Amino acid sequence: MPLETESKVRLRALVAEFRPNNGDLLAALHRVQHEFGYLSAEAMEVIGDQLGLFPAHVYGAASYYEEFRFEPQAHTNIRWCSGPACRLRNGNGIRDALLASLGIGHMNGQTEDGRVGVILGQCNGACEVAPMVWLEQHESHTIEPVGNMSAARAVRMARALRDGATIEEATNA
Amino acid sequence: MPDALALYDAMRANADAAYAAWRNPERPRIDVAIDQSSISNGALRTRAAIERVVSARNAAIDLGRVHGYGIQWLHPLVQVTFPDGATVLYGPVTPADAEAIVDEASGRWGAAASLRIGMVTGERDGVPSLRDHPFFALEPRERRLLRNLGLTDPESLEHYIARDGYRASARMLGRHSTEDQIRTVMNDAGLTGRGGANFPTGVKWNFLFGAAGEDHYLVCNADEGDPGAWVNRVVMEGDPHLLIEGMLIGAFGTRSKQGYIYLRDEYPLAIARMEQAIAQAEAAGLLGEDILGTGLTFRLRVIRGAGAYVCGEETGLLSSIQDSRGMPRVKPPFPAQRGVFDKPSNVNNVESYANAPLILMHGSDWYRQYGTERATGTKIFSFSGDIARVGFMELPFGVPLAKVLEVCGGMVGGELKAIQSGGPLGSLLPPQSLPKLILQGDSFSPWDAIMGGGGIVFCNDKTSVLVLAEMFAAFVEEESCGRCTTCHGGNQRQTEILRRIIDGRGRREDEPNLKLIDRTLQFSNCVHGQFSPKITRNLLQHFHADYEAALRGEDPSLTMAGLYRVVVTNQYDPALAEAVAICPVDAFRGPAGNRSVDDAACIRCGACIDVAPKAVGKQAKARTVALN
Ligand SMILES: Cc1cc2nc3c(=O)[nH]c(=O)nc-3n(C[C@H](O)[C@H](O)[C@H](O)COP(=O)(O)O)c2cc1C
Ligand code: SF4
Ligand code: SF4
Ligand code: FES
Repeated sequence: MPLETESKVRLRALVAEFRPNNGDLLAALHRVQHEFGYLSAEAMEVIGDQLGLFPAHVYGAASYYEEFRFEPQAHTNIRWCSGPACRLRNGNGIRDALLASLGIGHMNGQTEDGRVGVILGQCNGACEVAPMVWLEQHESHTIEPVGNMSAARAVRMARALRDGATIEEATNA
Repeated sequence: MPDALALYDAMRANADAAYAAWRNPERPRIDVAIDQSSISNGALRTRAAIERVVSARNAAIDLGRVHGYGIQWLHPLVQVTFPDGATVLYGPVTPADAEAIVDEASGRWGAAASLRIGMVTGERDGVPSLRDHPFFALEPRERRLLRNLGLTDPESLEHYIARDGYRASARMLGRHSTEDQIRTVMNDAGLTGRGGANFPTGVKWNFLFGAAGEDHYLVCNADEGDPGAWVNRVVMEGDPHLLIEGMLIGAFGTRSKQGYIYLRDEYPLAIARMEQAIAQAEAAGLLGEDILGTGLTFRLRVIRGAGAYVCGEETGLLSSIQDSRGMPRVKPPFPAQRGVFDKPSNVNNVESYANAPLILMHGSDWYRQYGTERATGTKIFSFSGDIARVGFMELPFGVPLAKVLEVCGGMVGGELKAIQSGGPLGSLLPPQSLPKLILQGDSFSPWDAIMGGGGIVFCNDKTSVLVLAEMFAAFVEEESCGRCTTCHGGNQRQTEILRRIIDGRGRREDEPNLKLIDRTLQFSNCVHGQFSPKITRNLLQHFHADYEAALRGEDPSLTMAGLYRVVVTNQYDPALAEAVAICPVDAFRGPAGNRSVDDAACIRCGACIDVAPKAVGKQAKARTVALN
C-alpha cells in the first residue's frame, strides 16, 4: 500500500469515529473544517471513504451550505451581519465600505495576500448592538463580535487589518 | 425494579440541596449573564475584569453564571446574590464597573447603586422588583417558558431539577400517564406549532404514534433562520433541559427511540449548552437507555447545521440530517410517513417541545389561562429594529402590538414606517395596521401578512421600504434550493427588478411583472418559493405611494442608491479633511476650499457622513433615465 500523505493520515484520524448512514456527514465536515479551516479535495475523499459516500456526493452536499469553504481562508475574516436590524442602520454601507477598503470585489472574497476576507453573516439575535460584524481568525479559533459599527469604523477596521493589525487593534481602530 | 419516581426523588433531594446552597450562598456570589447577546456586548470582558478584581483583593466572593432576562439593551448584565437570598441585577456593567460591583457585593451597599436595575428575588430598600420594570409590563407576573432565566445556572442539571424539572416526566415514565394521555393533554391545551405554521402539536404526535413500524424518530427544528428572531436560541441557551424534557415527553407519547436537534451553526453557545445538557441527562439516567429504570430508550443528538435557510423547512431539514443537500422535497409523503432515514418522524419547533413539560406538569386548564380562545398559552417574541429597548419577552397570545411598541420604549430615530414580521417569508406591515394588530396569527391575515415564529422588527422612516423589500428578496433568492425553476428564477427576477428601481431606473412594467412573478411563484414546491414574494406583495399593497414615488424618482429617506448623491455641504468644516481621508474609494475631488464628490465614483457607503456630518450630506437626485 502506498504511503499516505501526512494530511491524509490526520484527516483519517479526525473522522474515524463517524459512521455510514448515521447522519454524520455534517459533523464530519465541521470537524475537518474546524481543524483545517476549509475542505480540501482530499478531505472529500477521506470523508467519503469513512461514510461510504462518493466524494462527489460529499462535495455536492457540502457545497450546498454557506458555511463550508473549499479554499484556504483569509487570516482574518470580517463576518458582516446581513440581518434586518443591522440593515436599518446602514448595514449595506458598512458592507460596501469593507469591500471597497480592501479592494475585494464580492462577498466571501479575500485580499490578494490572503490577509483579510469579508464573509456573509446572519443575525444571531444581538440586534441591540446593530449594526455589527464579527472578526474571526480560524487559526486561533477566535471570534470577536464588534457591535455599534458605522461605515467609517468599517473603513478604519478594514485598513488596520489590511496593514497587519491584530483583532484587538482593529476593534479599536 | 426501582420505581422511576423513587429514582427521581433521590435525584431531587440532591438537587434541592445544591440549589438551596446556590440561592442562599454562604458568601456573596456574582453571576454574569452569559448568552449570545451578552457576549456581543462584551460580557466576557466584564467577567474577566470582575475575576481580576476578586482575585486581586482575595475577596470572599464566588463567581457564577446565569442567562440574561430579555432586557438586552442593558447588557452586559451582572447579578449579585447575597447570603440572605436577595439577588440584585445590574446593567450595563462594563469592565470599568468591576470594582464597584465587587465593592457592593462585599458589603459596601451603594457602591454600584447607579447600575442597579431591580431585585430578581428578595428585597432591598429602594430597589424595585425586576418584575416591575416597564419592559415586562405585558408579561405574566410569573413567567412560564422563561421561568428559570436568571434563577438558575443554565449549565446546571441540578438547578433545573430543583425548579421542578423532569418531575412531570418522571411521573409519566413511572406509568402514571399513558401515551394516549400525553397526546390528549397537548391537544386539550391547544398547543400549536411555534415554527410558523400553527399546526396542532398533539395532532402531529398522533400521526407519528399511529405510523407503521417500531422505529419512530423525533426531530427538533432548531434552525431558527429568520433574521430578527432569536426565540429558540433563548430556550436552548437559557434552559436547555426544558427542550430535552419536552422531547422526552414527545418521545414517550409517540414511542420514539431516537431524537435529533437540528441546530443552526450561528448559535455556537446553544450547541455547546445543548450538547452538555444531553450528556448530563444521560449521565443522570434521564436520557439514553433504560431511562429511570423503566427499560425505555430515548437517545438524543445535536446535528449542527451549516448555514442554509431552507434546511428549516422540515423536509429540507430531514434530508440535511441524512447526509444530503438539504433540499425540500415534494409532500406527501409527510414526515410522519417518511422522515429521517425513511422512517416515520415528527418535526417540531424548539418552543413547541418546550411547552410540553409545562403542560404535563400543570394541565391544560392552567395552560389556557393565558392567550386567547384560538391561540392558547404564551409565546416568546424577540423585538428589534429602531426601538429604544431591544430584547425578548414571553407574552400571552393576544397582546396588542401597539402596547408592545410602548414597552419597547417606542421608536427611535424617526417615525414608525413599517413592521416586519415573520422573517424573509413574512410580511411588511404599514403603520396604520399597528392599532389593529394583536399577537395572534389570524390578526395579521387581513393585511395579507403572517406573524411567524416570533421575530418582529420595527422600522423607522429613515430607511426606504423598497430597500427593505430588496434586502429580503435578495435573501430568499440566495437561499432558494434551486429545485424549482419558479423559485430560483422567479426570485432572481424579483430581486433584479427591485434593485433596478432602487437604482432609480424603475419602469412602468415593473409592477405587473412583479405581480406575475408572485403568481408564478405560487407553483413552487415548498413554502419557501410560495411565500418568497410576500414582502414585495405587501410593498405593493400597503406602500404603493412609496413605490410610485420611487418610480418617479423620489425617495424622502435618501437611501435608494440611484436617487441621492453625497455632496459637500460646508467647505470650511475642519472635519471635511477627515471625510476625504476616510473615503474608501477616493471619491473626493478638488483642493481644500473647493471640494466635491465624484458621484460616479461614490459607492454611497456613508463613511464620510459618519465622520463629518456637518460637512457632507445627502442630496436628492432625479432619475437619470425617463420613466416609461
Ligand atoms: C424556508 C422555510 C424555513 C423554515 N424555517 C423554520 C425554522 O427555522 N424553524 C422552524 O421551527 N420552522 C421552520 N419552518 C417551518 C417548518 O417547515 C415546520 O413547519 C416546523 O418546523 C414545524 O414545527 P411546529 O409544528 O412545531 O411549528 C420553515 C419553513 C420554510 C418553508
Ligand atoms: S420552492 Fe424554492 S426552496 Fe422550495 S423546493 Fe422549490 S426551489 Fe427549493
Ligand atoms: S459615501 Fe462613501 S464612497 Fe461616497 S464619498 Fe462618502 S465615503 Fe466616499
Ligand atoms: S440584524 Fe444584525 S445582529 Fe440582528
